[in-house]
Amino acid sequence: MTSNPLPLNISRYGGCTLTGALSVTTHVRDSVTIIHGPKGCTHHNFSLLHATGFDNDHVSMPDLISTGLSESDIIFGGEAALERTLDAVAQRNIGAVFVLSTCIVDTIGDDVAAICRRDHGVPVLAVPSGGFLGGTFQNGVNNALNALADTAEPCTKGWCVNIIGEKNLEYEVEENYAEVSRLLTALGISVNLRFVRDCSMTDITRLGAARLNILRDEDLRPVGDRLHQRFATPFIPSFPVGLAGTISFLESVADSFGVPHLQAVNKEKVLQEELLLEFQDIAGTSIALDPALRDSDAFMLACEIADEIDIKLNRDGCRVPLEVLPPVGTTGIMRMLHRWRRAIHA
Amino acid sequence: MKQIALYGKGGIGKSTTSANLSAALSLQGLDIMQIGCDPKRDSTRMLMHGTFIPTVMDLVRVRGEGALSLSDIVYTGFNGVRCVEAGGPEPGVGCAGRGIIATFQLLEKFGALKGDVIVYDVLGDVVCGGFAMPMREGYAQDIYLVTSGELMSLYAANNICKAIKRLSSRTKSTCRLAGVICNAKNQPREEELVREFAQRVNSSLIHYIPRDRVVQLAELNRKTVLEYDPDSAQAAQYRSLAERIMKNSRFTIPTPLEIDDLESLAVEYI
Repeated sequence: MTSNPLPLNISRYGGCTLTGALSVTTHVRDSVTIIHGPKGCTHHNFSLLHATGFDNDHVSMPDLISTGLSESDIIFGGEAALERTLDAVAQRNIGAVFVLSTCIVDTIGDDVAAICRRDHGVPVLAVPSGGFLGGTFQNGVNNALNALADTAEPCTKGWCVNIIGEKNLEYEVEENYAEVSRLLTALGISVNLRFVRDCSMTDITRLGAARLNILRDEDLRPVGDRLHQRFATPFIPSFPVGLAGTISFLESVADSFGVPHLQAVNKEKVLQEELLLEFQDIAGTSIALDPALRDSDAFMLACEIADEIDIKLNRDGCRVPLEVLPPVGTTGIMRMLHRWRRAIHA
Repeated sequence: MKQIALYGKGGIGKSTTSANLSAALSLQGLDIMQIGCDPKRDSTRMLMHGTFIPTVMDLVRVRGEGALSLSDIVYTGFNGVRCVEAGGPEPGVGCAGRGIIATFQLLEKFGALKGDVIVYDVLGDVVCGGFAMPMREGYAQDIYLVTSGELMSLYAANNICKAIKRLSSRTKSTCRLAGVICNAKNQPREEELVREFAQRVNSSLIHYIPRDRVVQLAELNRKTVLEYDPDSAQAAQYRSLAERIMKNSRFTIPTPLEIDDLESLAVEYI
């Protein structure tokens, strides 16, 4: 049993497990997601996904269906409502149905997994996402990725990697992918599958074809382990962070493929030096990081870069926002420095 | 209006006691309502001459709440006692506790909670918040524990004391322990033991109901003892219980025992 003895007043690092699972399942193109619970859970998440999608120039409507539980379903059990909804959804020509549980159905003990196991003529994937069980947003992401991973079979490996667990709701998701992709290209390695961002169920059958998995961040380790077990694919636990971190990322990937990295690394170091030179106009200034969300990795990285450019950190300095998450790769640092420059020159 | 609730271990005789109590109270000329708050739905059966009346939850499930009226859920039994069964989901699914809450809300909506005395016959264990509903503000103020002298029965009664203690400490709470009813299994020194238990939990033994075969005979004839054999000694016992409950004015916040104390108490009376 899980319990949380501290009333936390910050929700950034907790979040709703259901929303986490949805951030994955709504990126499987030919699927429908059933949210088994009261309709408010679906409404709230629909709005959130829709709004965040717009911000990221992703204008499709999430295909969500609620089982619309009412008080009588809670009293008598919600399994019949789920069956009804599944039967209706299975009529549609789709690749898969996800069934996400909510807090209330996990409280009353609906056997969602057992219902999903019945033959509905279409793959039905149960994703446990009752948040009160101590889970966070991340647990929802991991549960959804694990459920999807189980649909793929081991296959022959190619000269490629998978990108695992991109943060589909973050603002710079495409920029971050582009950066990782740029680094991989420098080593002559291609991307097999973005697991999961805008892909189909057929795409996911290729999951086992990668020689290496690159996790978006450390929180995805349980998924990395599971994929390692199932497909014997090793993983790198995070996108590159920081100047030195980006170099060691190149080295790790190259080592994993057994290819030389000297040329790519040297080229990257030159790029990084040019980047720091480009921002010499803000050298000698003072900034104060606005630590609204206190991500320690982002803070460490900001300190490292400020030091490199000779920017002082003090309380009276120009207020610049601390990144919500540490910027990815060399170009992530470049975008961060542009934001600093705008704040300093404002 | 007096609202009383009977709690106790499953199978201890709550429904038999409740039904005979309701019958005896009605024979005093009072307007009585008995509400069975157990998904087993057999609380009012003897008052209804063996009929299982439709439960509130079954009616909601089949017809929907909107289609129901007061006459669909309240049934008149022996001597005008109004009977309601809350019912609940099929065993093993859903949430029976929420079913009790929904039943109470429906009864309130219909203005059904009226009369001289309402008797709530509640499931053996207060397993979740829903089954504590009858003890909440606006419902039963007087809680009676039904127990025999068996340890497991006292154990259940003691647990219910914990629930009463918790609820009665809330502001505006009017729920109190009103007494212990011993429904005897005919163990030696049983009355003394239950009396002692009652005192230890800061209450008192309201009545000792001896074991009598007429109870089984009445049940086989689908009647309460009061109806089946009104001249029997057992009928007199239930009348006496009814009188004491109406006169009772000692309502306390209980002091539940630790399990070790409860066990050594039981050992003392072997």
